[in-house]
Amino acid sequence: MIKIKTKFSNLKAWTYLTPWIVGFVVFTGGPIIAGFLLSLTRWNMLGNPTFVGLDNYRSLFSKNSDFGNTIKITLIYTILAVGLSVITALFLAILLNMDVKHKAVFQFMYFVPSVMPSVVMAGILLLMFNKDLGVVNWFLSLLGIKGPNWMGSSGYIWVVIALASVFSYSTGQMMITFNTALKDVPTDRYEASALDGASSWQQFIHVTLPGISSILLFNTVVATVNSFNSSFSMLFPLTNGGPGTSTQVLSLAIYQKAFKEFDMGLASAMAVILFVLVAIIGIIEFRLMSKD
Amino acid sequence: MKNKNMKAAGRYLLMSIVALIMFFPIAWIFINSLKTLGGISSFPPQFFLKHPQWSNYRRVLLTPNVLNYFRNTLILIAGNTIGTLLSSSIVAYPLARMNFKGKSAVFSLIIATMMVPTVTTIIPQFILFRSFGWLDSFLPMIVPSFFAGPYNVFLFRQFFKTIPKSIDESAAMDGLNSWQIFIKMIVPLSKGTFITVGVLSAIFWWNELFTPLIYINSESLKPLTLGALNAFKLDGGQNVTAWNLQMAFAMLMAVPPMLLYMFASKYLMVGNGASTGDKEG
Repeated sequence: MIKIKTKFSNLKAWTYLTPWIVGFVVFTGGPIIAGFLLSLTRWNMLGNPTFVGLDNYRSLFSKNSDFGNTIKITLIYTILAVGLSVITALFLAILLNMDVKHKAVFQFMYFVPSVMPSVVMAGILLLMFNKDLGVVNWFLSLLGIKGPNWMGSSGYIWVVIALASVFSYSTGQMMITFNTALKDVPTDRYEASALDGASSWQQFIHVTLPGISSILLFNTVVATVNSFNSSFSMLFPLTNGGPGTSTQVLSLAIYQKAFKEFDMGLASAMAVILFVLVAIIGIIEFRLMSKD
Repeated sequence: MKNKNMKAAGRYLLMSIVALIMFFPIAWIFINSLKTLGGISSFPPQFFLKHPQWSNYRRVLLTPNVLNYFRNTLILIAGNTIGTLLSSSIVAYPLARMNFKGKSAVFSLIIATMMVPTVTTIIPQFILFRSFGWLDSFLPMIVPSFFAGPYNVFLFRQFFKTIPKSIDESAAMDGLNSWQIFIKMIVPLSKGTFITVGVLSAIFWWNELFTPLIYINSESLKPLTLGALNAFKLDGGQNVTAWNLQMAFAMLMAVPPMLLYMFASKYLMVGNGASTGDKEG
């Protein structure tokens, strides 16, 4: 009798899961397998794909390919975007946890950039960093510095990208969760360490950080995931991979190969590599998280 | 005492400086949206305008297709929000409130799929939707939301778990089946979560660039993000000609998500440690 009942309730539970099962097979699991198979072919979307084995991977890793550079830029972007948005979010949350007036106003102003569409943010950054009429170069000129051509320099462009990461969706979202997490750190721990004569920096290291370590890791994982998506939505309107290929991250390269050049096989090979990269980063971060 | 006041003033000053930096982009958009084209290129930049050009906003709204962009974005938001709320809440229900075989495996798989970036699956999805004849329509962007995005399932599950189990038990005693318990008990108790997920989905689709860029060709079907790229030639800033109009357009795009945030902030701020991150439709 009990056995029948559990069987029945298993069936019931799985019925509720149906939308997810279909979605997983059709939109995630299926495409991952299909993408791998496509990466073994040459196909320009006309006619049938031709099986070419590992040729696409070979050409990606061949000597005269730009792909190594793309991977490098992707990693730099990921570390920069994740690092800056996590640090900014934590900093903003700490500020919001201080005892001041008009906190709601500050909270709103800190959160605003993160709900702005990335195309809009890209637009205003392009205007602010314009070498002739930008407000940034005007400000620098007040300090007697001749501002560079930000958007046209493969080095300075990263300053603009860094600022875009500070103003990103991730930052605002993490600020909210950090804000909540900081409130949950027991106040008596602060009091105890204050009695021991700890400075506020020591308090931050020995009380605050351990108190929020699990949410810090969670946020880092989520920010990493976000950065792979936001790398496209931010960089496409902001730099479109340029100048040259100096900001050509994987997501831009895949878009270019697949939807501009219709080289579906090669683009799929890049997507497979991105998937592996994400999986490795994900496993590392989850390991750290479960250790905690 | 004096020392304490100094400290408070210092904190206030620090918070204000940071607020100025964070708020500068939107403020600068607003100021520039009211300049003449000549005013934009005047150096040093003008911060206070003698003659704000409110007509810039009218000119943007009268530009062909701009109203269409708004309509199309609203269609994407409506479709995705309905699809997401329905499917994600239903899928999260057994994960939060039932015991069944394979539950932890399903949940791990959902967490794992949260990590899969859109670009890694977009090519096969594109080919699939092309074979359905769905290119250049909203379907490739709306239909998937009816099949439960992992992130939203996760959010619903986290909240559903906090509802006391005794509610289900007493409802079951009254003869309600699991579906009735879901509709009559769980859903009304989770209003805040529905609003949170709905608002996050709306903001996401208001801002979404990648999928429309791939699926939409017709000018008349483009959402706001493509409109911004397109009408004002926002590709690496090479060909921008009418900065003031572009900034007016940017302002019109930036304000609605801000208002939505203000409306929903009391729900979003609750953030049970789960309300972070990107949410796929």
